[in-house]
Amino acid sequence: MAQQDMERFERIVLPHLDDAYTLARYLLRDEHDAQDVVQDAVLRALRHFAGYREGDARAWLLTIVRNCCLTWQRQHRVDRIGLSLGNEVDAIPSESAGTDAAAIQRSERALLERAVAALPAEFREVIVLREVQDLSYREISDVVGVPIGTVMSRLARARRRLAVALGAGVKEAG
Amino acid sequence: MTMRCADCMPMIDALVDHELPPEEERELRAHIEGCVDCARELALVVDVSRAAREGLVRHQAPDVLKARIRAAVSGVSGASGANGAAEPAGEEPAARMRRRSYIRLAAAGVLIAAASSALTFAALRRGAAPSTESELLASHIRSLMPGHLTDVASTNQHQVKPWFNGRLDLSPTVPNLDSLGFPLLGGRLDYVAGRRVAAVVYGRRQHVINVYSWPAAAHESPRSAAAQGYNMVEWQAGDVEYWAVSDLNRPELDQFIARFRDVSGR
Repeated sequence: MAQQDMERFERIVLPHLDDAYTLARYLLRDEHDAQDVVQDAVLRALRHFAGYREGDARAWLLTIVRNCCLTWQRQHRVDRIGLSLGNEVDAIPSESAGTDAAAIQRSERALLERAVAALPAEFREVIVLREVQDLSYREISDVVGVPIGTVMSRLARARRRLAVALGAGVKEAG
Repeated sequence: MTMRCADCMPMIDALVDHELPPEEERELRAHIEGCVDCARELALVVDVSRAAREGLVRHQAPDVLKARIRAAVSGVSGASGANGAAEPAGEEPAARMRRRSYIRLAAAGVLIAAASSALTFAALRRGAAPSTESELLASHIRSLMPGHLTDVASTNQHQVKPWFNGRLDLSPTVPNLDSLGFPLLGGRLDYVAGRRVAAVVYGRRQHVINVYSWPAAAHESPRSAAAQGYNMVEWQAGDVEYWAVSDLNRPELDQFIARFRDVSGR
């Protein structure tokens, strides 16, 4: 690979490693698996960098990370739902332990993390891409490879499930 | 067009996400004003979306992962540069690509191994009981590679400490320092300076602290060393020798050790 392509790759792709890792963490629900898959995805991105012309480099990298996550899950045939979730929740830094408000906030966050982890994969990924990564419907549609209408309905259903899990007690409409 | 509320559901999400064309947005807002169910639905979506945005963790890629990736990426560029002409990646069969990627991963591992043996030699040249320090440094770096940090991953001292029973003559000290900002991550068996040792692992933000312990051979004055951004500090308590190794800065590592000793009485 030419030196200028390498520099361009380092400049426009490598700054998004945190986002890549975040997506892999939510999709795989395991930090070690996420590290391995992100490394594999970045090397894959590097090999296919010639095919990347323009557009949002972050969404492009996230597309590759998502595909690598799916491949990894197919190869390993695991569904670790429920496993190690307790640890992950405990691992959220508890800087201001002690006050009631902080404790309530922590338990709400723990509930939220559990609720998202328990979502089916196709709902979980649109929630993460929308609410954590702040992608547009068009970008989510490109990353996931489904029409925008499907993105919209999955996101709507995912949010209703989260609402139920978070205790809003609202029945799914429709 | 008249709207049926069953059709509104994803539309309300699109409204909250600012994804509706202006005309549809106006139409939907007009409908919601006169429809209690849809107004409640809108409030629900706003609440859930805000909770998710504010509550979900944005993870940071660990420094170790970033370092591995940068090493692997520069390894790839160096290799193709040496060969002169890199073949078009898109034409490679998938299996071959996969094999090549593992070769590159292995190459990255070699880079890290070479770096750590360079550290070893650097420590050797620095003198002062070299073997223990350099082996601890190599062990610490090895432990940072994915899957190597802990044999027993637990934030609970009552799971980590018993795990060593029967694996070592010495039962390691495992104080709970969670509330002091040093969460327990787990423990593992390691091999340093010709013996099996206990490594108890703590975290501090993105940093890892390995606390090694083994029966002390003879009483010596406390030692410490620094190499390539890592700090190593030794102390003895009773007949046990302890080493704390981390990339934390020295004051914070000293603070950790002070708390470790306070809580455990060691």
